[in-house]
Amino acid sequence: MLTYIIRRVLILIPMAFVICFLVYCGLELTPGDAVSHMINPDALGSMDPAQIEALRQSLGLGQPFYVRFWSWFSNLIQGNFGFSTNGGVPIANIIATRLPATLELASVALIFSTVIGCLLGILSALSRGSKADGALTVVGMLGVSIPEFFFGLVAILVFALNLGWFPVGGRSMPSYVTLWDRLPHLVLPSMVLSIMLTAGVMRYARSSMLDALSRDFIKTARSKGLPEWRVNLLHGFRVALTPVVVLIGFRLPVLIGGSVIIEQVFQWPGIGNEFISAVRSQDYPVVMTIALLSVMAVLVASLIVDVLTALIDPRVRLGE
Amino acid sequence: MTESAIAKPRRRTRLDAQFDRIRAREEAGLAKSRGGSRTLNKFLNNRLAVIGLIIFSVILLASLFAPLLTPYDPNKIGLRDMLQSPSWEHWFGTDRTGRDLFSRVLYGGRVSILVGLGSAIFAAIIGVLIGVYTGYVGGWLDTLAMRVSEIFMSFPQIILVLMLVSILGQSLVNLILIFTLTGWGGIYRMCRARMLSLREEEYVLALRSFGLSRPLIAYKHMLPNALGPIMVNITLSTAAFILQEAGLSFLGLGVPLSIPTWGNILNVAQDIRVLQTNWWIWLPVGTVISLFVLSVNFIGDGLRDATDPTQQG
Repeated sequence: MLTYIIRRVLILIPMAFVICFLVYCGLELTPGDAVSHMINPDALGSMDPAQIEALRQSLGLGQPFYVRFWSWFSNLIQGNFGFSTNGGVPIANIIATRLPATLELASVALIFSTVIGCLLGILSALSRGSKADGALTVVGMLGVSIPEFFFGLVAILVFALNLGWFPVGGRSMPSYVTLWDRLPHLVLPSMVLSIMLTAGVMRYARSSMLDALSRDFIKTARSKGLPEWRVNLLHGFRVALTPVVVLIGFRLPVLIGGSVIIEQVFQWPGIGNEFISAVRSQDYPVVMTIALLSVMAVLVASLIVDVLTALIDPRVRLGE
Repeated sequence: MTESAIAKPRRRTRLDAQFDRIRAREEAGLAKSRGGSRTLNKFLNNRLAVIGLIIFSVILLASLFAPLLTPYDPNKIGLRDMLQSPSWEHWFGTDRTGRDLFSRVLYGGRVSILVGLGSAIFAAIIGVLIGVYTGYVGGWLDTLAMRVSEIFMSFPQIILVLMLVSILGQSLVNLILIFTLTGWGGIYRMCRARMLSLREEEYVLALRSFGLSRPLIAYKHMLPNALGPIMVNITLSTAAFILQEAGLSFLGLGVPLSIPTWGNILNVAQDIRVLQTNWWIWLPVGTVISLFVLSVNFIGDGLRDATDPTQQG
C-alpha cells in the first residue's frame, strides 16, 4: 500500500512542476510586468529609460527566463504568491480571506449532493423500469441541462425577492457572529450549487448500483435467503459505492467551476468571486495564482481518490 | 418453490404488457421488420430522444430562418419601446434599449449554437486525430499525448477557459478556439481507450500483415468502429459548450456584448431590478437555453443507447 502511495506521489510531482511552469509562461505572456504595476502610468511616462532599466535590474527582471522562473517558483513553494496588481495586496492574504467562504459553500454542496444523489440513484436503480425511475431520469437530465446561474436567478426571484425567506446574496452581516446567524445566507447558493452535482451523482450511482446488482454474489446472497433490503444495501450498495467515491473526487473540478459562477450570482465573497473580478480587471498574478491553486486542489483530490479506491478495492492495487 | 409460484401469481410488470402487445401483433401478422437501419429504428423507438430531436429541430430551424420569422433587427435600438412587456407586436417584449427580444433570442441562437457545435466539432477533430493514431501506435507518442491531456484535464474547465480569455481577450473566434483547446481531452481519451481494445482484434493483425501503413489502418479501418461513441461525445459536448458559453456571457466574459447570444441576453439579469420587475428579459431566454441543452442531451443519450449495445437500461 505504501509503495502504491509513494508511486502515485512520484507521478504527481513532475506534473505539478510542469503545470507551474506553464502557468508561469502564461504570466510572462500577459502584458505588463512588475515595474508597470508598481509605478503609476503618468510617472512612468516622465521617467527616463535608464531609470526604468535600473529599476528592472534591481527587481531581477533583466535576468534570463529560467532564473526568473526559478525565483518565482521557490517563492511559490514558500507560500509567497506575489502581489495583486490592484492595490499591491499580497495574494496569499487575498486567498486566506476568501478561501473559508468558498470552502463553506463547497463542502455543504458536496455533502448534500452526495447524500441526496446516492439515495435517489439507489431508489432509481431498485425500481428500474418503473415510472419513478423514468421520472428520476428526466429530472436528472433537467438538472444537468439547466444552466446553474439560471437556477440561481429563479431561486433569488422566488425565495428571496417574492417570498423573502432568504437574503438575496452576500455571506453575512456585520452583526452576525456564529455560523447559525449566517445560515440563511448559505441556503440558496449551496442548494443551487448542489443541483447539478446531485444530478450527476444520481445518474452515476444508478448505473453503478445496477452494475453491482447484476453480479453473481448478489444471486448468492439472495439464494442464502437474506432479506431483500440486506441484499440491496449491505451487498449491492457496498460494491456500488467504490465508483461513486471516485466520482465524488472527480466532481471537484465541476464543484470549483460551479462555485465560480454561483458565487457571482449570489455575490458570495469567495475565491470564485475574486477570480472573476481579477479576470475582469486583468489582474494576471491573481488569476494565475488562483488557477494554479485550483489545479493543485484537483491533483491532490485525484491522489486521495486513487488511494481511497485502492483501500476499498484491493483489485486496483494488485492490478498495478 | 413451484407451489408457492402457483399459489401466488407473479406481479405483472411493464415487460409482460409489452410482450403481450408484441405477441398480439405477431398473431395479427403485423410484426414485420420495418426495414432500414437497426440503429435508426432503435433511436426512433426512444421516446425521449425523439422529443429531443423535435425540440432541437424547432429551435435550430427557428434560429436559421430568423429573418423570416421576425421583422425586427436584433441590434436596432428603439428608445420609444424601452422595457415593454410581451405583446403581439413584441412576443418576448423589449429590453432596456428597446431591442426586440424575440428576434434577439432567434439571432442569439445562431451564435450560441455555432459556438457550441463548432467547438464540439473542432475539439472532436483534434481529439480523434490524436487519439486514434497514438492509441493504435502506442509507445512514447502515446505517453506524451496522455501526459499533455492529463495536464489540460487537471484544470477545472471554467478556470482554464477564463484564464485563456484573460490572456487572449474576448472575441467569438477566441472563444471557439479556447473551447476547442480545453475540450479535446475527453474525446481523445475515449478514442484512445477504444483503439487500445481494437488494436488486439484479428482484422487489425491481418491488415498489418498485408503491410498497410499505420495511419491507413488507424484512420481508415479502425476509426469507423469508434464512430458511435464519437457521435455521442460530440452531441454531449455541444450541450456542455452551450452551457459554458451561456455562463461566460452571463458573467460578461464570453462573446463580446455587441453580438447577441443567449448568454449575452441574460447578462442584464445580474441587475436585481431587472430580475424582479422585467422577468420577460431573462426568463424566456433561460427557458430556451435549458430546452435546447435538454434536447441535445436527450439526443446524445438516445444515440448512446442506439449505438452501444452494452449500455442498456
